Amino acid sequence: MRYTLVSMLTAIALTQGAGAETLDNADEIVARANLAAYYAGADGRSEVRMIISDAQGREQRRQFTVLRRDLDDAGDQSFLVVFSQPSDVRDTVFLVDKHVTREDDRWLYLPGLDLVKRISAGDKRTSFVGAHYFYEDVSGRRPAEDTHELVETSTDFYVLKHVPLDPRSVEFTSYVTWIDRSSFLPMKIDYTNAAGDVYRRVEVIEVIDVEGHPTVTASRVSDLQTGGRTDMQFRNIAYDLGIPADVFTERSLRNPPREWLQRPASR
Amino acid sequence: MRALLLLLLLPALSFAQNDMWADDDWDDEEATRSWNGFFEGAFGTRLNDDPLVQNRNTLEDLRWRLESKWQPGKTTISLKADAGYDGIEDDWILDARDLSIAFTVGGEVDFRIGRQVQTWGTGDLVFLNDLFPKDFVSFFAGRDDEYLKAPSDSIRITRYSPVVGIDLSWTPVFEPDVYLTGERFSFFSPLAGGNVAPNPPLSAAEPEHSFSNGEVALRLFRTINGREFAFYAFRGFFKQPTFAPLSSIGASLRQPLGQGLFNAEFVYYDSRDDDNGTDPMLPNDQLRFLLGYEWEVLPRFTIGLQYYLETTLDYAALLDNTPQPQYAPDEHRHLLTNRLTYRAGRDRFTWSLFTFYSPSDHDGYVRPVFTYRHSDTWSVTAGANLFAGRDEHTFFNQLQDASNAYVRVRYNY
Repeated sequence: MRYTLVSMLTAIALTQGAGAETLDNADEIVARANLAAYYAGADGRSEVRMIISDAQGREQRRQFTVLRRDLDDAGDQSFLVVFSQPSDVRDTVFLVDKHVTREDDRWLYLPGLDLVKRISAGDKRTSFVGAHYFYEDVSGRRPAEDTHELVETSTDFYVLKHVPLDPRSVEFTSYVTWIDRSSFLPMKIDYTNAAGDVYRRVEVIEVIDVEGHPTVTASRVSDLQTGGRTDMQFRNIAYDLGIPADVFTERSLRNPPREWLQRPASR
Repeated sequence: MRALLLLLLLPALSFAQNDMWADDDWDDEEATRSWNGFFEGAFGTRLNDDPLVQNRNTLEDLRWRLESKWQPGKTTISLKADAGYDGIEDDWILDARDLSIAFTVGGEVDFRIGRQVQTWGTGDLVFLNDLFPKDFVSFFAGRDDEYLKAPSDSIRITRYSPVVGIDLSWTPVFEPDVYLTGERFSFFSPLAGGNVAPNPPLSAAEPEHSFSNGEVALRLFRTINGREFAFYAFRGFFKQPTFAPLSSIGASLRQPLGQGLFNAEFVYYDSRDDDNGTDPMLPNDQLRFLLGYEWEVLPRFTIGLQYYLETTLDYAALLDNTPQPQYAPDEHRHLLTNRLTYRAGRDRFTWSLFTFYSPSDHDGYVRPVFTYRHSDTWSVTAGANLFAGRDEHTFFNQLQDASNAYVRVRYNY
């Protein structure tokens, strides 16, 4: 679900019905987009599947369930990703403790070895299980890591340009987001490299309303240089389930929490 | 080889590719009970002859893996088993890596009972406080990394708590490492003054199978602001002959540092039957230290460095009593390891190079591995295990004639 992407899902009840208002402060727009994309409800779950395609049309697939819990809106939060497909990554579990004031903590559980592997912060712009998504895209990039500039306000979008404060920590020199003015979801993100070329694009394909939260149910990341892309779909999404904090610990790496992973309809 | 081809082709014929992307075909984990696994053919051969071992090949496996989970009520019964044929040992493979039942008591304490693989500690292919059984023969022969960890029949009880987590593992009947026996690889014998490959293979007497000879391993752990602290204790036996009684205590730390990850670990080994180090047949007490750092230097290119020190205590007593001081271990054995990993093509290609080098033993072990993941079902791995050194009795150099190259083809279902 939303977790996945810089862009995904969700919410902000605040903005519903307040759509007529026009914002002109870039930081405020980014703050609202961050809430919309990553903080819908106090917690949530979604099933996710990805098709990873290269330019030759070869496909790899991944399917997993994501659980999320917020400590505070726009604050620290936790993510648990449990893989079910394909069989060589089945039961692999990924845990993220996302922090606003320091680097995120990430762990990967490899069931074959009973090994709890830590993932270093330097890996955040590295591919997540082979997809065109990065580890950082799973839990979201901290707004404070970039400067933000509002470059255009159209009928439907706020268009913002973002420049990283620490250019050495990322592979892009800037990126531009198209943020939906009513849902505040980032609908498109274009990343520009040092040569000035747009080389990576994240797009939202489909948004639906889930429990009052505008929620991304299909999105795509394209590598515009090689022609490869990753398509994602989100299903069986639910918010405000009351997932307790202790679900997001080493315990769930070894024993994925069935009670919270099962579909909401069967609860 | 014909049997191998047949086995590899079989799954392609018998398992239809299920299209999980069809829009209403979301795999429902709750509704379906799954059977997964793989078929694998593996072949490895020596780079030089070992005059002591007739078979030039070091790996001839045909293997079928079956994995399943059954979850009646709140319990989970898991199965992970291998069946097949091992051409080197000329014997059938029939191993359960996992046959266990897991459940929770009082919402707080997790039990897992049965055959299982267990791992803890912070080292990368270097083990200090992890005294669970390991299969070094599989490791040196080029089987998948997974096989380095051997299963044991254990009761694992874990209580997770934000204050301090408690992890207790009881293995009622001692489970040794899979060690060098001379069947696949020859090994150095101080008595013979050179490598030997006994036939029948070495089969050392294990501790008597009684509850009093069971093994208990304890881990206390807590994470504070991203720093993982752990304390360990163990009472059991050395995992390799002579299986002398061993107790240990230790601790570890793992935390982010700069753009990478830092880890430190130490352990004290108490060889209970050789407290003052005077019995030359038994290992002395030891202190072991490990420092490690791993970081991503370039996108998808990771370097991991480790420094490991093994200090033998009561060293003077060891030298005074051993009949073969020329083969005695150094008082301080230093070991450096280096892991280079590069992934490309959406993780379809993985190059990995792991190097062990001991400046004190003047020996080393290099493990290049290349994996090509052709699809979600087919993958090919090729690699080598290369041993070299100066003295014939040191840990890695005794395996010089075991240096081998191998290839594995796997079909996942």
